[in-house]
Amino acid sequence: MTDLDFSVIGANADLLWDGMQMTLLLTVLGIVGGILLGTVLAMLRIARVPVLAQVAALYVNFFRSLPLILVIFWLFFLVPLILGRPVGAFSSVLVAFVMFEAAYYSEIIRAGINSVRPGQMAAARAIGMSYGQSMREVVLPQAFRAMTPILLTQAIVLFQDTALVYVVGLRDFLVSAEIVANRDQRLVEMFLFVALVYFVMSFAASCGVRILQRRLAT
Amino acid sequence: MNYNWDWGILFRDPYAGWILAGLGWTLALSLLAWTIAFSLGTLLGIFRTSSSALLRGIGTVYVELFRNIPLLVQLFLWYFVFPELLPDEAGRWVKRDMPYPAFTTAFIAIGLYTASRVCEQVRSGIEAVGVGQRQAGRAIGMTEPQVFRHVLLPNAFRIVIPPLTSEFLTIFKNSSLALTIGVVELTAMTRQIEEYTFQGFEAFTAATIVYSTVTFTVMLLMRVVERRTALPGTLSAAKA
Amino acid sequence: MIALSGVDKWYTRQFQVLKDCSLSIDKGEVVVVCGPSGSGKSTLIKTVNGLEPIDGGEIRVGDTLVSDRKTDLDALRSRIGMVFQNFELFPHRTTLQNVTMGQIKVLKRSEDEAVAKAEALLERVELSAHANKYPSQLSGGQQQRVAIARALAMDPMAMLFDEPTSALDPEMINEVLDVMVQLAREGMTMMVVTHEMGFARTVADRVVFMDEGRIIEDAPTATFFEAQGSERAQLFLSKILSH
Repeated sequence: MTDLDFSVIGANADLLWDGMQMTLLLTVLGIVGGILLGTVLAMLRIARVPVLAQVAALYVNFFRSLPLILVIFWLFFLVPLILGRPVGAFSSVLVAFVMFEAAYYSEIIRAGINSVRPGQMAAARAIGMSYGQSMREVVLPQAFRAMTPILLTQAIVLFQDTALVYVVGLRDFLVSAEIVANRDQRLVEMFLFVALVYFVMSFAASCGVRILQRRLAT
Repeated sequence: MNYNWDWGILFRDPYAGWILAGLGWTLALSLLAWTIAFSLGTLLGIFRTSSSALLRGIGTVYVELFRNIPLLVQLFLWYFVFPELLPDEAGRWVKRDMPYPAFTTAFIAIGLYTASRVCEQVRSGIEAVGVGQRQAGRAIGMTEPQVFRHVLLPNAFRIVIPPLTSEFLTIFKNSSLALTIGVVELTAMTRQIEEYTFQGFEAFTAATIVYSTVTFTVMLLMRVVERRTALPGTLSAAKA
Repeated sequence: MIALSGVDKWYTRQFQVLKDCSLSIDKGEVVVVCGPSGSGKSTLIKTVNGLEPIDGGEIRVGDTLVSDRKTDLDALRSRIGMVFQNFELFPHRTTLQNVTMGQIKVLKRSEDEAVAKAEALLERVELSAHANKYPSQLSGGQQQRVAIARALAMDPMAMLFDEPTSALDPEMINEVLDVMVQLAREGMTMMVVTHEMGFARTVADRVVFMDEGRIIEDAPTATFFEAQGSERAQLFLSKILSH
């Protein structure tokens, strides 16, 4: 067992914090984009037009069958090709994240929409609200309220998934820690630190979700 | 879009061989990891629903620990940190003399991680079977292990076939993480093809087809298994 | 004002839920539709505002042909009020907001106008004190009265009631029926699917009896209750009236 020296963490706090900011940024953008696109997909899946429903179902099932790493590689390769110019890792990775997570979010949201009593849609239509209005004002608000704990849990999953940007070298928290680890030959300390930080943040967040769940149930 | 299409590349040597080799490693990884995940996960699921507070505690700690750290980080911990924490002899063996160190580390890490998820599925299956069933078993004089074996688990497993199948598929997808420690599984191979030939589209499509086909096939198989093992009257109730 | 002619509807190839139903309701008339469960009466009333599409026949409300594909159903529905068996108040909005939502979103009234009208209606159904409560804080009878207010807020030309008291505990049925009786006496055109024969006797102009998707009897109230009428109607009546 080699001598452990944890001071390397403090000495590189700035670098690590920059990495953490990247991780958090990816997480937040991934959640927002994922929920927005996921909502669109969920609504398409329940649409009366068969073509739309089928395309959305295909999208969801397709992305759920692929590893995130492959999706990241795909977009990393495709985005510059489509745009015709080199593009930073961040943009490609962000698109990959949103497209991937949206498939998972759409299933959650779809379940949420289906959990709203059908009579609610009928009641909204009965006063003359259009389908869109009824969705916006009556069904979706209730769906989201019901699904909040699960949406948040998926957010925690997303937070952990961001570590995969490692494969394209984007400087998130893990990669920053690895840079320090390799440079100062402190792999044990750095990786243990990374694990600890992820653990504390995820655990705290899931405790928070549990508390929220209890509050919502009353 | 400036791109030279060359679909034939997938069928040419050495690339075709690479893809097959990659697929082989992916399958081996997945199956071995699943073996660990399923057996350990079931055991932990039983722990979490047992009447012993100690066993329940062990189960809970395991699940929380493995669930709140990203799999990639766990992989690195096993591969880079674990050997350093072992006494010198053992550490050296793991790093140098163990056969296929990256591969072994990968399937163990993925297996242990997924075990925490399988544990939760099994636990919810057992809970779904219900306290009543458990009490009925005890009432005729069965011991707790007997109750698990003859009453709870047979029913619990039927209930959790879909989520367990989904966990297997998750392992199949997570096997791609092994590329970060050098295992040349399917995704790694296709990346390699892309780097060598710049035919990224073709290469990644190959991987995509494999993953989506396997997922689709496994889901079909699952439905067959579900139908074959269902108790009369339950499937239609489940569908309603 | 409401005219159904030869309405047919199938749920599946084998099951025809509405068979050649014809019914007309004049302005100011109150028509009660009754029948055993499964007779199709709930489905029938939902075809009037297009919540359930039909497969054959014609439905007219005012000048609008409901079954026409080109009809703006949303616009039509804003002029017909519907009250549901399960109240279906919007749980994420307060009582007051439930009554103003349609006015603001559909009729495009200003918030002040909508609130003023809502308050007046809540006053009328005797629920002003509960304006800022959420539906889950109200009893079934109170919720249904709010639901009636919600429908009235749209200034409808007719009101449709789909078993409005079936989901209520007995002691709350009367508070809702009282509101409906009042509404009828004020001249509202009403189509009411219900088992409450007391209500029918009090304010209905006609009673319609349905069974197995068909309209078996359509008679003025007095005739329906006293005369011989059809056997099935009499049998049905005897079963309901005995409790």
